[in-house]
Amino acid sequence: MKRATAIFLTTGLLGCLGTAAAHHSATMFDPTKMIELTGVVKEFQYTNPHSWLLVDVTNEDGSVTTWGFEAEGPSTLMRAGIRLSTLPPGTEITIRGNPMKDGRPAAAWIDATVDGERINPRNGFAVVPAAN
Amino acid sequence: MPWFFKGLVSIAAIGLPVLAVSQPAGGYIGWLDKGDGDWQASKARLQAFGEQFDSSWALYEYLSAQADGGERLSWQDMAEPAYDWSGIYTRTGGGLSFDPDSRGNQLSAQLTPAGAAARQRKIDQLAATGGEYDPLSDCSPPSFPRWTTEPFLKEYVVTPDQTWLINEMVNDVRRIYTDGRAHTLPADAYPSPNGDSIGFWHDGMLVVHTTYLIAGQYQRGTQPDYSDQVEVVERIKKVDPITLEADYWVFDPVNLAEPWYTRQSWTKLANDDHFLRIRYWNCSENQNNDIIIRDDGTSQFPDFDFVEDDAAVSTDEAVSGAQP
Repeated sequence: MKRATAIFLTTGLLGCLGTAAAHHSATMFDPTKMIELTGVVKEFQYTNPHSWLLVDVTNEDGSVTTWGFEAEGPSTLMRAGIRLSTLPPGTEITIRGNPMKDGRPAAAWIDATVDGERINPRNGFAVVPAAN
Repeated sequence: MPWFFKGLVSIAAIGLPVLAVSQPAGGYIGWLDKGDGDWQASKARLQAFGEQFDSSWALYEYLSAQADGGERLSWQDMAEPAYDWSGIYTRTGGGLSFDPDSRGNQLSAQLTPAGAAARQRKIDQLAATGGEYDPLSDCSPPSFPRWTTEPFLKEYVVTPDQTWLINEMVNDVRRIYTDGRAHTLPADAYPSPNGDSIGFWHDGMLVVHTTYLIAGQYQRGTQPDYSDQVEVVERIKKVDPITLEADYWVFDPVNLAEPWYTRQSWTKLANDDHFLRIRYWNCSENQNNDIIIRDDGTSQFPDFDFVEDDAAVSTDEAVSGAQP
């Protein structure tokens, strides 16, 4: 397992990214901060109204923290090309998100890199029309 | 619409003389294609058209009269492209604005003083706390007309006697009865999230009247509220093989000084592998989606299943207070 890599960025520009929130307001997340973590997928809770990707991240002292990354529900993830089978347990992942304000290890999932491929749950809101 | 008037309409529906129908200046306006000419000018015409009616029912009755009561469809008609609404759709655009032509804090509705004050309270709340508690957080249905703005999957089923407008979110179905029935009699009616909808077909349009709704908000953020007196007239039409559009005239004497006209749109999504489908939406299947309301009116997660002791880790007193 890779060592945890946590990068906290603070910038007002990140506020424009917003956070994933369809059934609740996003005030629990800090849109001015971005974290980037590397770890392995523990569990993909592919549920409505929101999905949670749990990622085990090894800290500098060797302990492991399970982080939760919230994204939209299954149909939006499917539209983004992120299926349940995309992220099985054990998958190495580098993931970015807006962290919780209250210090708990959770974030609104912005994007991720798996096997060198960038995946973005928000792409699921793109309207890709059927052929005429 | 006043209750007594609804009662008269219901009486008319069972065979007594029909009341005179309002006649707007300028006459009937049929479907106006967004792609033809100046859409803003067309939209202004449709707004002005709606403003000539003092109730949603007067508008609906007028449209019904213009259609001679509408056309009864048969199962053979279902093979016609105009009535084939199959596929998985989503809102074409507009984000969380009820009027897809509006962006951010723009608002095309003409609010009453009470409606404007209610909206200002929402704006002040957002400014003070950066957020709000959305009633959807307990997975209550969005209710109509907010139903229209929800950004997830939608599916539509047209049959001769009913059309079902299905919202994936919270397994939410609007049923439009087109078999000629009247609204539920006022004495027996009660408000509900999607109300009571009747309609008729005319010129490829499904014309709908919806009443007996509950109070709500058009969307979160700076979108206004609607009262339990809100009523809506819609004209839904398949404008091309992958697009459904609808004229909406919303009437709400509490919050709207004039009917609010908007053009809504939904796009059929690419789904060649048939992976997209309407699946059950169960809000209680994952405890990590539980939400509590904080003292400042915003929302918070009380208890994650991947955090051993949320109260010990969180700096938010609301989390400590929510722990068993």
